Amino acid sequence: MAKLYRTREGTVSAADTRTQLSTLGSETAPGPLLVPSGAQKLVGVIAAQNFNMAAATGYTALVRLEGPGLPEGPECIVIGAGGVPVATGGNGVNEAVWIPLDIPVTVANEILVFGEMTGTDVGSSEFAVTLVFA
Amino acid sequence: MSKTFTVEGDVTAADTRTALTTQGSVTAPSSVVPAGATKIDKIIIAATSEGLADGAQSVMIRLGGNAVMGGEQVIVVSALGRIAPQSGSDSAPQLMVARVIDDADIEVRPSDTISVSAEGCGTDTGTIHVGVTLVYA
Repeated sequence: MAKLYRTREGTVSAADTRTQLSTLGSETAPGPLLVPSGAQKLVGVIAAQNFNMAAATGYTALVRLEGPGLPEGPECIVIGAGGVPVATGGNGVNEAVWIPLDIPVTVANEILVFGEMTGTDVGSSEFAVTLVFA
Repeated sequence: MSKTFTVEGDVTAADTRTALTTQGSVTAPSSVVPAGATKIDKIIIAATSEGLADGAQSVMIRLGGNAVMGGEQVIVVSALGRIAPQSGSDSAPQLMVARVIDDADIEVRPSDTISVSAEGCGTDTGTIHVGVTLVYA
């Protein structure tokens, strides 16, 4: 079958705290991310994140996937790391990373997508995650 | 079929093996290789420091424990450097998008434990933040 792409995004503002990504830009309440009809596997994740450099420290960024749409249980994936030595200036761009996977899914069931910054609080970090089904 | 296992941690001293044992809000993730897994198919890694000290470092990870059938595997992740900017300027941030090592093909024994550690080689650049995801198949 052709690939199917489903996306959620959100802001993570506390360290070591799983934060659900539940919006989609102009769609403030897109509802649950359900495994699309016909999908058999999660074949990959496209993810990007960056932080606002509001604190002179660093972090590692994780994406967590949970919920009844994943019959083998939750998954957790590293998508980046960052840090800054001063809190008074800085900017940067991270391109999205493509992570190929082969994870079974259950059609019509929900997958919850979470972002998390580990280590120390860097201010806030924006996450966007696309799940690719086939 | 793949299954992920992620650990992360902070490396605060140069040339010092540092075990990665936490997963953010999950403080003690299981390091047991899942039943049915026979190899590490992919490794997803990111590592950088905040640059609070002037220096240059390379970063490596070590995969060990009795689950790794070929003995300890050591893999380079990234390299980073920092020098203080001139007065009145700000230091740039250090950012790393995760790197995916496809077809890592490291043989493992299911139901045994794996250990993941990281190390910053060279001159200390501050605290290195490291995250590692192993994708079992």
